[in-house]
Amino acid sequence: MKKLLVKILGNEKTQFIAIPVFSILISLIVGMAVIGLLGKYPATAYINLLQGSGLMPKPSYSAYQGMLTDFTSFLNMLTPMLFAALSVAVAMKAGLFNIGVSGQMLAAGFIATVTVGYSALPSAAAKPLVILVGIIVGMLVGGLVGFLKYRFNINEVVSTIMVNYIVQYLTSFFINTRYMDQISRQSKAISGASRLTLMDVPMAGLQVDLPLCVILAVLAAVLIRFFLDRTSVGFEIKAVGANRNAASYAGINVGKTMVLSMMISGALAGLAGVTYYLGYLQSIQPKVLASTGFDAIAVALLGNNNPVGIIFSSFLITAVTKGSSYMSSASGIDPEIASVITGLILLFSACSAFIRYQVGKWKTELEEAERRNADVNNNH
Amino acid sequence: MSEEYIVEMRHITKRFPGIVANDDVSIQIKKGEIYALLGENGAGKSTLMSMLFGMYEPDEGEIYVKGKKVKITSPNYATKLNIGMVHQHFKLVSNYTITENIIMGMEPVKKILGMFPSVDIKKANEEIRKLSEEYGLEVEPTQVIEKVNVSIRQRVEILKMLYRQAEILIFDEPTAVLTPQEIEFLLQIIRNLRDSGKTIILITHKLEEIKQVADRCAILNHGKIVDILDVASTSTKKMANLMVGREVSFSVEKAEPKFGEVILDVKDISVHNQDRFEVVKHVSFQVHRGEIFAIAGVSGNGQVELADAVAGLMKVSGGTITLKGRDITHESIRRRTEMGISYIPEDRQEYGLLLDFTLKENLAMKSYYKEPFSGKNGILKRDEFEKYGKRLIEEYDIRSGQGTVTQVRSMSGGNQQKAIIAREIELQSDLMIFVQPTRGLDIGAIENIHKQIIAERDKGKAILLISLELDEIMSCADTIGVIYNGAIDKIAPADTLSTSQVGEFMMGVKHK
Amino acid sequence: MSTIIIDGLSFALPLFIMAIGAIYSERSGVTNLAIEGLQGFGAFIGALFVVLVSGNQGTNSQAVFYLSFFFAMVGGMVYALLHALLCVKFKANQVISGVVINILASALTAFLTKQVNRGVFNQPSDKFQLGVSNRYTVPVLSDIPVLGAVFKNIYPFEVIIIIVAVIAWFVLYKTRYGLHLRACGDNPHAVDAAGRNVGQIRTAAVMVSGALSGIGGMCFAYSISAQFSGSIYVGYGYLAIAAMIFGNWKILPTLGACLLFGFARSAGYQIVQILEKPSSYSDLVMILPYLLTLLLLIFFSKYNRSPRALGEIYDKGKR
Repeated sequence: MKKLLVKILGNEKTQFIAIPVFSILISLIVGMAVIGLLGKYPATAYINLLQGSGLMPKPSYSAYQGMLTDFTSFLNMLTPMLFAALSVAVAMKAGLFNIGVSGQMLAAGFIATVTVGYSALPSAAAKPLVILVGIIVGMLVGGLVGFLKYRFNINEVVSTIMVNYIVQYLTSFFINTRYMDQISRQSKAISGASRLTLMDVPMAGLQVDLPLCVILAVLAAVLIRFFLDRTSVGFEIKAVGANRNAASYAGINVGKTMVLSMMISGALAGLAGVTYYLGYLQSIQPKVLASTGFDAIAVALLGNNNPVGIIFSSFLITAVTKGSSYMSSASGIDPEIASVITGLILLFSACSAFIRYQVGKWKTELEEAERRNADVNNNH
Repeated sequence: MSEEYIVEMRHITKRFPGIVANDDVSIQIKKGEIYALLGENGAGKSTLMSMLFGMYEPDEGEIYVKGKKVKITSPNYATKLNIGMVHQHFKLVSNYTITENIIMGMEPVKKILGMFPSVDIKKANEEIRKLSEEYGLEVEPTQVIEKVNVSIRQRVEILKMLYRQAEILIFDEPTAVLTPQEIEFLLQIIRNLRDSGKTIILITHKLEEIKQVADRCAILNHGKIVDILDVASTSTKKMANLMVGREVSFSVEKAEPKFGEVILDVKDISVHNQDRFEVVKHVSFQVHRGEIFAIAGVSGNGQVELADAVAGLMKVSGGTITLKGRDITHESIRRRTEMGISYIPEDRQEYGLLLDFTLKENLAMKSYYKEPFSGKNGILKRDEFEKYGKRLIEEYDIRSGQGTVTQVRSMSGGNQQKAIIAREIELQSDLMIFVQPTRGLDIGAIENIHKQIIAERDKGKAILLISLELDEIMSCADTIGVIYNGAIDKIAPADTLSTSQVGEFMMGVKHK
Repeated sequence: MSTIIIDGLSFALPLFIMAIGAIYSERSGVTNLAIEGLQGFGAFIGALFVVLVSGNQGTNSQAVFYLSFFFAMVGGMVYALLHALLCVKFKANQVISGVVINILASALTAFLTKQVNRGVFNQPSDKFQLGVSNRYTVPVLSDIPVLGAVFKNIYPFEVIIIIVAVIAWFVLYKTRYGLHLRACGDNPHAVDAAGRNVGQIRTAAVMVSGALSGIGGMCFAYSISAQFSGSIYVGYGYLAIAAMIFGNWKILPTLGACLLFGFARSAGYQIVQILEKPSSYSDLVMILPYLLTLLLLIFFSKYNRSPRALGEIYDKGKR
């Protein structure tokens, strides 16, 4: 067993992929056990998850529905998650823990809703404007957090939590007093022109929802990766994240870099906000923070804070979440099991450092033993 | 099995991933003697004693204490066997009082209201006061550790052992951070402890100390015992050669200095630390081209802050710093680097390097943002990093596992320091600041770095050398300034001062 | 005025007991963002006990009420073991572990609540109904002008909290265990050298934080929410952490921070009522405690010192 694990996980060059995959497999197996305990077929349940996300065909579809319908609505859900996870990752690279992605999302979503979403602007103007407003608002909120950290040494965990609450209550106040839709008990729906997801587009005989920004999100991931790995500012961000003292010794302006990375992180959170509230949804429920911002922390962790890794991890987590409602209706398993599985995946990936450490230890043990055996053989 | 040995370690072998730290080591220590373990850094002295103190367990071999075979599985058990250890890095809780630190783990307990057991701090303070007087190790029990100096902290560590009724006392490099006078005092205490019946094991790489106090001495090299000697009848030279495994020269060869114009002119600067405490007080000095200006002083007297202030890592609260005639008092760190300051910091792992970055990235850590490493558009040129890294590794003989892409964390201390020095020399700055450049390195590496410093001087650089090692100062400096309590009261040509004079200034004894 | 004090206290004290939990964990050197999840899981176990013995309608039985707090403590404690395991044994990043614990807590409790409701009560519901706890008024003392309100309409759990808080204070500052615990947060090597097991001390500290958080969660379930459901996760755990940081990781200043949150909140509600504004204006005043915290932090953060070894993974070999 030890030998096998060392063989699979011990290679330092492939560890970055082998260990997360290993963690995911273990959690899926545990998830299967739970489903089995409930008296359902685990394999069916997992297939249902994939079917619900449009990654496998369902046995039957209603009118104008098809695998493509499910898949595009899966992408619709994926988009904000991808942005949010990138937001967490950029801050994390600079050694900052942005737990306030949800608040930044809400702030950006709200401002974009009331400025552009309720305007009569035509689609061609409204959509880019929504994106722009999202970026700017997110950047300002993130920048504020960075500034408080840099200028007053306020722990970013506390300030982002405080900002979360402030945004939550402030937007709730305005929605309740001005923008309330009395029937849905949410903010009034935005104009179709400003929505970043095209709804019910006829395509190949089906009606699908097209999230326009999913391409932007993937592009953002690639861009962020390039930015962090190949530019001097990216080098500075990583240096500050690795060791603030050494970074400052090297002549890097640590304060400026922290504010900058929080601004980038905030901008990405803003993008997550507008694609969530003005794309995936079209209105805002007062006093509720999207769980996306918190789940994103975990997605970023699962993707090892690597933008390309995050594409995969957000894909996985969103698939589980999105597929759960179909799984629930098809196999009669509570959809909550999906978040339990997600939780398990995160739990095991949080242990990845330990797995790496343990495998490394076993590896040297085995090598040591082998060398001793070789010595013994030589002596004979 | 002889009764005369209080500690016997037989055929001890300890392996760590990649290295054999102790290879079939056997030592026997008599009750009531001062037994020295001599060896370079990494020779395996500390590992051997860590096993006696229960921090590691040997892979092979046996340990006997007071004639009984024992398996020391934890420091706790070592304490029960009356073994105590003063570690090189003190293990003290900085926000606790001296008493709290000493009694931790063995606190006297009283019952409040007859039922709630709580720590009886009053009684403990009293006990500690008595104990400290008994052994001449005076401390104020209610003082908080962060507020007392290194030599007091060391006394606290010694008292900790005595409080636990240790009979076998292990000292790991106890003099590394002390002034000559404090060293005298400590050695006297060690003698007193022996005379009151304790057995002392002294880990050190300083030969004079061994010569002064030790009865016997075991020399380790690369994890193996080279020799066990009677100290009184062996010369220092012989011990040194055994320790290094080859002939060593004690003096650094150095030509007469040729001073040029003033490069660094520090006028009346003061520095306040985070707690708004004035740590550098109105310091003034000049360093010329071709001069090694060394600042001697006991750790914690403001020398690191002084270096940080010159390099721009700390703000000055008064005075001016001039580099080549230009006022740099309020310039950023980067500007100063560009204007001609190289800085080898005291804490190479916390400041000098990005441990999780690769070697080539660390070598370009101060120039990554400009040509040739990065174009005008801010995009890094990877092959330039690679080329530059390869050249420096070659020229400065930096050894690493995987060449330019080695994670610096995995490199040895000596090679980490080589990398820093290579980077800083390549900056071609007119002023080079060295703070503790040889800390924790072995004799070979030290020799090498001293040669490099002098070579840079001879190339016409101005050198500011700050060191706690008086030997280093005496053998490299052209001019010596002594810092005490944040102020430099004495500046004089090196050849006009003797070691003991400098030592006295370091203690704040003023001579006119 | 007395409403402000009464409501302020009933909000501040549960927050305080969770913050003490956080102090235990962080003073021992383990970063604990998991308070949110710990309080939720604790409340879940406590509520589970209540509905199992008295049906899903709530009960007035005193014994059940007090026992539910005991079970909430146990629940929080056992769940905290997971955080301790990840942080101490598995050397995970403590911040990440905390977040993961929170996500897992809300997922698990939502899932289990549904399972229990279906399996035991045969009804599809995602909550356990508890009702609001009875309140008491201390005679005589409550007649003192203004300050008498402290003794008016108190929830019994407020008394529990004060007793537990006093014990927690005594243990942390006066006993051997407390001495070792605080030392672990400053220099774990010193504790190890003194022959104490750092891992054990930290594990115990994290478990204490789970138990205390469980009490806090149960209080909210029995007061503000009157039920156990997903609504228990509204971020009070995070607020407790903010109070702790604001209180500089010390128990008494942290109490001050909690009272500030509590009174700012209840005063806000009161002002909205006095001004006869619609209830949506209460959202506006709800911002006050958080805004106030941010502003105060601007002035006080300079003096804030987190425990020196906070968040560091203790590795014996490393020096």
